[in-house]
Amino acid sequence: MNAPERTLPRALPHTGQATGTSHGVGARMPLIDGVDKVTGSARYTADLPAQGALVGRILRSPWAHAEILAVDISAALALPGVRAVITGEECDTPYGVIPIAQNEFPLARGRIRYIGEPVAAVAAVDEATADAALALIRFDVRELPAYFEAADARKPDAVPLHDNKQGNIEREVHNEFGDTTAGFAAADLIREETFECAEVHHAMMEPNAALAAWDTERGHLTLWSVTQVPYYVHESLSRCMNLDAAYIRVIKPFVGGGFGHRVETLNFEIVCALLARAARGTVRLLQSREEAFLTHRGRPQTHIRMKLGLTRDGRMTACEAEVVQRGGAYGGYGLVTILYSGALLNGLYDLPAVKYDGYRVYTNTPPCGAMRGHGTVNVRFAFESLLDTMAAALGLDAFAVRRRNLLVAPTETINGLKVMSYGLPECLDWVEQASGWRERAARPRDDGPIRRGIGIACSHFVSGSAKPVHFTGQPHATIALRVDFDAAITILTGASDIGQGSSTIISQVVAEVLGVDQRRLRLIATDSALTPKDNGSYSSRVTFMVGNAAADAARNLKRVLVTAAAKRLQVAEHEVDWLGEAAAVVGDPARQIGFHEIVEEALVDTGMLTVKGTFTCPIEFQGGKQRGGAVGSTMGFSYAAQAVQVAVDTELGTVTVEKVWAAIDCGFAINPMSVEGQVQGAVWMGMGQALSEETVYENGRHKAVSLLDYRVPTMAESPEIDVHIVESMDPNGPFGAKEASEGPLAGVMPAIAAAIEDATGTRIRQLPFTPDRVFDALNRKPRPGAAAPPTVKGEA
Amino acid sequence: MGALSEFRLMRPASAADAVRLRGEFPASRFIAGGTDLLPNMRRGLVGTEVLIDLGGVGELAEMRHELCHNRDTLRIGAGVTLATLAADATVVSSLPALAQAALAVAGPTHRRAATLGGNLCLDTRCQYYNQSEDWRRGNDFCMKRSGNICRVAPKSNRCYAAFSGDVAPALIALGAEVELLGPQGLRRLPLADFYVDNGMNWLALGPDELLVAVTVPLVPARVSAYEKIRVRGAIDFPLAGVAVALRRDGDLIGELRIACTGVSSRPEFIAGLDELVGKPLDDAVLAVMERHLKRGIQPMETTLASVPYRRRATPALAKRLVRRLWDEARQGA
Repeated sequence: MNAPERTLPRALPHTGQATGTSHGVGARMPLIDGVDKVTGSARYTADLPAQGALVGRILRSPWAHAEILAVDISAALALPGVRAVITGEECDTPYGVIPIAQNEFPLARGRIRYIGEPVAAVAAVDEATADAALALIRFDVRELPAYFEAADARKPDAVPLHDNKQGNIEREVHNEFGDTTAGFAAADLIREETFECAEVHHAMMEPNAALAAWDTERGHLTLWSVTQVPYYVHESLSRCMNLDAAYIRVIKPFVGGGFGHRVETLNFEIVCALLARAARGTVRLLQSREEAFLTHRGRPQTHIRMKLGLTRDGRMTACEAEVVQRGGAYGGYGLVTILYSGALLNGLYDLPAVKYDGYRVYTNTPPCGAMRGHGTVNVRFAFESLLDTMAAALGLDAFAVRRRNLLVAPTETINGLKVMSYGLPECLDWVEQASGWRERAARPRDDGPIRRGIGIACSHFVSGSAKPVHFTGQPHATIALRVDFDAAITILTGASDIGQGSSTIISQVVAEVLGVDQRRLRLIATDSALTPKDNGSYSSRVTFMVGNAAADAARNLKRVLVTAAAKRLQVAEHEVDWLGEAAAVVGDPARQIGFHEIVEEALVDTGMLTVKGTFTCPIEFQGGKQRGGAVGSTMGFSYAAQAVQVAVDTELGTVTVEKVWAAIDCGFAINPMSVEGQVQGAVWMGMGQALSEETVYENGRHKAVSLLDYRVPTMAESPEIDVHIVESMDPNGPFGAKEASEGPLAGVMPAIAAAIEDATGTRIRQLPFTPDRVFDALNRKPRPGAAAPPTVKGEA
Repeated sequence: MGALSEFRLMRPASAADAVRLRGEFPASRFIAGGTDLLPNMRRGLVGTEVLIDLGGVGELAEMRHELCHNRDTLRIGAGVTLATLAADATVVSSLPALAQAALAVAGPTHRRAATLGGNLCLDTRCQYYNQSEDWRRGNDFCMKRSGNICRVAPKSNRCYAAFSGDVAPALIALGAEVELLGPQGLRRLPLADFYVDNGMNWLALGPDELLVAVTVPLVPARVSAYEKIRVRGAIDFPLAGVAVALRRDGDLIGELRIACTGVSSRPEFIAGLDELVGKPLDDAVLAVMERHLKRGIQPMETTLASVPYRRRATPALAKRLVRRLWDEARQGA
């Protein structure tokens, strides 16, 4: 791996001389919890001791769309060993992550809207009893017409899934920025193409699980869950259980990945808590892999019609996109997804005019939601693919056409997004050079059945949504540092480490600012009884926002400690030479006191110190004035460019990714090792969506509900991925840092599509490129040269 | 997947004891590696009160050369693991199709547990069958278990679940035989005759018979290979698998045997290829071969990958293997 060669910046004032062994920012250090995980000592929700806990089980609907007429739980309740049976009657308050679109109940009430929707739940002394009880629950329903494709749900005579949404349109977005009519008029080449992207799922490693303890004496609830957003879960529990949030404690143990599956409260979490209260005890609810696929919240099936105008020399003049997303049965994050898809057409290139029409459609399938690269990925696939084919029609190089349309930071896009740092040019330069792009034309073409090709694409993503989903007026991130007699520094954070490494990043930031050793730091995270509220791990907000809050907290603590050191050394504060683990008098290193002494002094008269730091995105970063304009707004965009080399087996239709060169502008790599891991993960996940992953519904019944049939790439498919880090030093990011994990994903699919075309002459516009799809495409390809009708003006 | 249902576990020390126990407890199943049986039990596909663990039967794990029908033969115990097979020097050098097939199964952890016998007796598979109990109940079950109709061919009176083992086609192409031990003693059967084209009853194995060993002739100058069409390089069952054994007499075909898997309810030995013996390998011969292959396979909608693709890609893979072995055989000669 190519770690950036650099002198570590010491951007902040007051940093002084950090100790030589500091694991501060820029250090290539393993994740602080990595050893716990690989040795198995880390405890995930399902590993928590739960002696005496009841077994929770959820009954799921076999009907895709039905009205519930009657439910009979009497036989289930009468079964010995059953402690609670609950149905939709248990909770009459809908929940949902978007306050204006809450239309989901933890257990279906009145109406069932997809196969697999929870309709009842049982707590019993063991699994066999719980299963037996589920089998005794009787539902009397009236089945309704069901729709599994967006087009069917939109038909004029379709029964609405939700009474307030005629035509089953959950949200439509129509906006135009700049003048697309004039833009297309100025174009020399206009092309319109359609793209189809299959629905994909997060397939996080850890299955879902929750543990809920109901304290009958006090009327308190404690919930442990696999969430990325413990604060939202806390809010949802309070809402759905009609229980003061003060009586609830939410704890997030180790979490084995989320990728967006867990960025909203999920029904099983509330069901587990409801069961615990109903059973007046502790309930453990373990979910199967199949149930994760039914809970879903993944990237929706997307139909995209995209039109782009280019001048002869490759300058973009206008873009028009119509995006239809099959959203599934409930709101969830849906309206954000459809807004993101339009908003982030901008921010990557200098695009002077965009017209966007987005439709989020309700269907009788598991609800879709947020997934790594939220909303941007499929649209980026379409845009980059179309850009490539148009560049080729104009005889332009793929790099050249992208360079022709670069932004210059700082700038503001036509839809009000601020771009403060922009390392895409450097990303392109490295990828072009490293992949040997310019030399590729000179290489002999393969003539056997295995053809090789190379393709490139670019992508970007936000470093945190500048406007949080729940407006509270509170800072966007808060961190507390606690210091007591032992002179340990305890970091208290609500930021959810879900494997992405946020706890490590926070520790590095604190170590950097204070100049102390990692060993002095202890991090306590995500326990609502102890740690400050955090909005959660979504939209790649944590490094940027919590990182800034951590730096602020550390600076505040340092101020207190410097004051104490000055007092103990009997000098003025400006005469203190802060050495991190010690303090000395400027110009007199012999007059020095250690960290314990400094803390001792700091605690005089006050006792334990709790120092806080916060971060808030200023209002001017929170997006344009248009409706939904906050979505897509951020203080910093990450940028990525990548080249992919594939081998296509033209006889069998299989595509093998042989090598990937990925460059990421993450502003500044607080931990280069972690950045590389995130980029590799993004590439790998994008490769899955590109080559093999898709949900498959037959009459609304999901057929690929195991990791055998839902084909996530294995180690055997993992290519060599060279990661290059570009540091654009964002003016607002902590030490210049931006996000690194979501941005690099979206470019993978179009780069692979381009590589397949380079290898075979065939461009595939339908994801994923499974062997049967590739085989079909190759066997009906038109003759090269007759690819498209001429649309360059004046040449027809 | 759900929890395992309750069962009694028995651990016989000999193959004869195992067979006796099987006769004593009709609702019993043999278990070796358990890589197929246990997931199926956890999905409610197999209900059994007694598991007869073959792990303690030492004779099943033996591998040795012997003379059989006056030919040098490798006798492989049914309990030999796939990992052992894939790494065995004789298998790798003399029976490469078998080594490649063993290596193509699942992933390394499965291959360490999974056995030859288990893979040969692998339950047939179907997208409507290999699902949870809840899933299948919601779909009104299917003929193979608890239901009445075949979801793949609703009008048919048989089940079309596909045989999806990798090792069987390799061994069939290599001309292997199986040894079956029953209460009446040992009987031998060509491996191809061990299978029946019926998704529900795909083995010609008596209710109290145990597959104890496989014998494979070691034929000089024969080359062989196995490959399968799959989406991923690990884990996946074959969308279709092809095994080829070939011997070359100078520029003429001396022997050509092909067997396929994943394309019907049994591994299919492709009939009619004898007519190609004595001919040079040219396009005409390959076309005849393709015709026989297409006649011999009948993939159904048992997987998520399309039937037309599997129909068309299978002969393409077979031709590739034959061409490759043809060149290999000349170099070896």
